[in-house]
Amino acid sequence: MKLGAGDSGFGARGWALGACLSTVVLTVTLPAAAPRAQLAPQRVVSLVPSATEMLFAMGAGPRVAAVSSYDHYPPEVERLPRVGALVDPDVERILSLRPDLVIAYASQTDLRAQLGRAGIPVYSYRHGALADITAGMRDLGTRLGLETQARAAAAEIDSSLSDIRARLAGRRRPGAMLVIGREPQSLRAINVSGGYGFLHDLLDLAGGRNVFGDVSRESMMVATETVLARAPEVIIELHYSDPPSSDAIARERKTWSLLPGVPAVKNGRVYLLYGGELVVPGPRVVLTAQTFARALHPDVFGVR
Amino acid sequence: MTDVRRRLAMSMLVFGSLAFVAVIGAPLLGTTPIRLARVFDRTIPFADNVDAQIFFIARLPRALAGALVGATLAAAGVVFQALLRNPLATPFTLGVSAGAALGAMLAITMRLHLSLWGVSAVTAASFVGSLGAVGIVYAMARARHRGFSTNILLLAGVTLNSFFSALILFVQYLADSAEALRTMRWLMGDLDVAGYGPLLAALPLCAIAFVAFAWLPRALNLLSLDTDAAASRGVDVLRVQRVAFFSASMATGAAVSLGGPIGFIGIIVPHLVRLMVGADHRIVLPASALFGAAFLVAADVVARTAMAPVELPVGIITALIGGPFFLWLLVRQR
Amino acid sequence: MLRADNVTYVHDRGRAGAGAGSASMLPAPDRPALPGVQDVSIAIDRGSVVGILGPNGSGKTTLLRLLAGMLRPEQGHVTLNGTSLASIPRAALARSIAVVPQETHLAFDYSVLEIALMGRYPHLGTFELEGPRDIAIAREALAATGTAALEHRLFATLSGGEKQRVVIASALAQQAEILLLDEPTASLDLGYQFDIAHLLARLNRERGLTIVVATHDLNFAAGLCGSLVMMSEGRVVAAGATGDTLTSMSIQTLYGVVADVYPHHAAGHLTVVPLRRVRRD
Repeated sequence: MKLGAGDSGFGARGWALGACLSTVVLTVTLPAAAPRAQLAPQRVVSLVPSATEMLFAMGAGPRVAAVSSYDHYPPEVERLPRVGALVDPDVERILSLRPDLVIAYASQTDLRAQLGRAGIPVYSYRHGALADITAGMRDLGTRLGLETQARAAAAEIDSSLSDIRARLAGRRRPGAMLVIGREPQSLRAINVSGGYGFLHDLLDLAGGRNVFGDVSRESMMVATETVLARAPEVIIELHYSDPPSSDAIARERKTWSLLPGVPAVKNGRVYLLYGGELVVPGPRVVLTAQTFARALHPDVFGVR
Repeated sequence: MTDVRRRLAMSMLVFGSLAFVAVIGAPLLGTTPIRLARVFDRTIPFADNVDAQIFFIARLPRALAGALVGATLAAAGVVFQALLRNPLATPFTLGVSAGAALGAMLAITMRLHLSLWGVSAVTAASFVGSLGAVGIVYAMARARHRGFSTNILLLAGVTLNSFFSALILFVQYLADSAEALRTMRWLMGDLDVAGYGPLLAALPLCAIAFVAFAWLPRALNLLSLDTDAAASRGVDVLRVQRVAFFSASMATGAAVSLGGPIGFIGIIVPHLVRLMVGADHRIVLPASALFGAAFLVAADVVARTAMAPVELPVGIITALIGGPFFLWLLVRQR
Repeated sequence: MLRADNVTYVHDRGRAGAGAGSASMLPAPDRPALPGVQDVSIAIDRGSVVGILGPNGSGKTTLLRLLAGMLRPEQGHVTLNGTSLASIPRAALARSIAVVPQETHLAFDYSVLEIALMGRYPHLGTFELEGPRDIAIAREALAATGTAALEHRLFATLSGGEKQRVVIASALAQQAEILLLDEPTASLDLGYQFDIAHLLARLNRERGLTIVVATHDLNFAAGLCGSLVMMSEGRVVAAGATGDTLTSMSIQTLYGVVADVYPHHAAGHLTVVPLRRVRRD
């Protein structure tokens, strides 16, 4: 074929051949030469709310393509598509979004297998104790090629938490009960945090002594008898929704008057906390720690 | 004294004592040791007396609730077995507890936050659910002309059980994790009423049911023989069946609303009692009520002490005892 | 004494087993739908032994239940000594009329004495327990049927014949003047059939008990009953003294079987010997 201006021998034909050959060589060899894992993921689907928050905290927000049904923070995620959660991940939807990384729970083995068949790498996330939050953040940062930013964000969290711990050093720890669930308007089915998990760690950091700290479980049901026996001085009750009317809050708080002998009830130190951040072991644990500290040591942190 | 009078008196004495000891003794047992002397020590103000608080606020209502629920479920079991002429019938066979469970599930997942007269939304909703189930089953069992078919009753009940169970699973699936945990907890039975309110709410209905239960036994003897034989001996079969069905169903509904669907009481207790006192319902019914009370109170003590401080649901204890017992019964019957 | 006048009762035409009764349960699933009776009139005299014969589906059991007051006729009325059954309270009726059903299925393990004592139900108040007199009557009834020795046995462990006799004893304990039996020999072997026949004859003779028996067994009826009511498809086709009604003709009409009917010398009553089936046209 002719290439426009004049036939210069090797020139035009040579360049064309060279270009073709180079393209072929590069297309074949380059991907094989560079291992896939080294390419920083650009389209991330996160099924784990705490991981989502971590991504935004390290500046990877724009890379998040979809989130779980339970994600509500930061506000930007409300505009993103939803792909289910722990029990009901929407594999089809995930695949249709063509992510290059999916963050899923470690227990979602079926999902990992399915995505693996489609060639999509999965980052397995496991909930742990408080320290695992910042460790997880750093690890996730490495995975996303944002090591520096992740370390910075994690360091900030660590320092804020240490601050709180330092301010309370040496102070007496009041016995506290962390209620993570109960039947509304009654004291049945009281679910508390045992001596394990990030909530317990936060309570400890905020200068409290978990009256159920001797049981190494993340959560457990307790009888009213046990509450009476353990006599907590502070009761912190967690609700993972937006706060209802102040009347409703007062009514729920009043339910505890069924056990007038509990020191926390006697001294009016029953705190009802509302908010989605309470259940997410992510960057916002600092807020939760501060709220706990205010409840446990109002003289140091100011009364709510 | 005739044989039946003697046996009735003996049974009341023995089982009554058992029930009494259980209800009095249970509040004294538990992981936290309390001293009876301290409990009744008037010099210590109640607000400071932990022993008294544990006794009167936590354990005593719980023991009373256990006695009420145990007595009701056991007696209802006897009545249903006679009504359906089948020793394997339970108070839950006809779908009453499935209706109660569905009501409770909906109240939990729809986050109904209200209470009436010390009765929480969950309790009230579960009672309404049980009424609904009773109504549906009864409507289906009424034949077109005057009549009442126990066969259709049984089929309707079993069908309703399956259907409601499916709905319950569906509701649980849609619930978020905190609610799902509470629904599971409710389904396993829980006698920790934390106060006398729920107990007092359930009491009137159970009392009415027990009045009916006092009237039924003779007729139940004849009914479980043969309905024709009963009719020819002067029993108003239709009326007896209606009274038996409604009183036992309402009582079951109240018991399940109070403590959740605690299984196996309604079948283990009647069987054990029959093994001990014979088949005469005039003895079996009251004896089962008393033994049921003692049995459930004892099971609840185990539930709250076995894995302390973790609470084991009492329904698990009764199932652990009941499952093998039931199997043994089936093997024995062959 | 016990009369049915122009009595009609039609069962609900629905699924098998979908009949309904005013005072009784639906039949057990293994029993077929019961037929009705049309415009039936019979009179049972005091002290008589009456047999109701007819093929399956002729309405024998329905008639028996109407006579017992377990079913209310849609037309006509059933009266006892002139009083309509519907106006007699249940307990009082049970003190006058006792029924022995065809089969007795127990759901629970009752003893023989307990079963016999159940016959005392119509004599006791709501919360009354049996007294020594009731127990004596029950024991006497067991003795009358030759089952006194079985008193403490569990009913479920008895043989067919023993069970039937205990059930009869339970009916006797009601101290009723009329005894209605539905197919009392249906599931019994020959020996027990004799026992029941002799027992009923003796009860009639010694106590003046009025007995009405619905049965298939023609020879049993011939030996026991003084008069017969023959039914076919819900209607009475013949009624009267046994000698008059039990003929080859009536048997052929009723059962479609040619049979020889003659007085048997040794047996002392009419005997039926079936010969052959009549060709259906």
